[in-house]
Amino acid sequence: MSFLYLVVSSLLLGMLVGKYTTLDFGNLYEFMLYLLIFTIGIDIGKSKGLREELKKLGKLSLLLPASTVVGSLAGGFLASLLLKVPLKWGLAISAGFGWYSLTGPLLATYSPIYGVTGFLANLTREILTIIFYPLAIKKVPKEKAIVMGGATTMDTTLPLMAKFGGTEITLLAFVHGFVLTAIAPFLIPLILQLL
Amino acid sequence: MNIFIPLLLGIAVGYLLGNRIKVSMDKPMSVALLFLIFFMGVKAGRVEIDALKLFVSSFIFALFTILGSLFVALLGVRR
Repeated sequence: MSFLYLVVSSLLLGMLVGKYTTLDFGNLYEFMLYLLIFTIGIDIGKSKGLREELKKLGKLSLLLPASTVVGSLAGGFLASLLLKVPLKWGLAISAGFGWYSLTGPLLATYSPIYGVTGFLANLTREILTIIFYPLAIKKVPKEKAIVMGGATTMDTTLPLMAKFGGTEITLLAFVHGFVLTAIAPFLIPLILQLL
Repeated sequence: MNIFIPLLLGIAVGYLLGNRIKVSMDKPMSVALLFLIFFMGVKAGRVEIDALKLFVSSFIFALFTILGSLFVALLGVRR
């Protein structure tokens, strides 16, 4: 949780610097983005146990992430219509699946406003999951309610899923988050380039 | 630069040198992320923002993506 405070503080500090100073950071933003994407790539490349985990969990381990992808994009589509946001941005924001630290900076390279919206929308998804997952599993099967957390189910919301959903869904939640974490860095730029 | 280039490069490096990379990626990622968010804030600070509209839009996107995911999972996933 303390890292979340640092993230929000960085955003607010940056906004103050941007609003009240004329400091120019040149290409540092792009450099840091590529560095972050590169380290994310290393992390994905290093994880070799995924195939075995998928076999253990069966088809549910792929059906749940697929549901999250389809459902998030459908939700983003409806939100775009409601808010009159261009479809391209709406779908790209939804394709973050709660991974605010990737979605925000990635979208900001094209549009600062949609970058901040992507950041906040995905941060809000994580916060809403933390608040409502324990309530949702009273009405919805706990393994299906994993989809609420999107990509965050492999890290930040994983302890919550384990605590309220039980240890038997922990592995499923982790794999669900892992699959979406592998998809999001490809899907967001793809949407922005295709639409 | 296309975003796929550093991503694919990173995956290749991670896959090929996975066992030799003993350093955790957590710290470099966290530092890069904090700088990135700061620079994103700087960019956003230079643009006029309607805070209420931004908050409402973010909330609606979050809510709809969660409900959409739940709806598809409930409808389409059978054990």
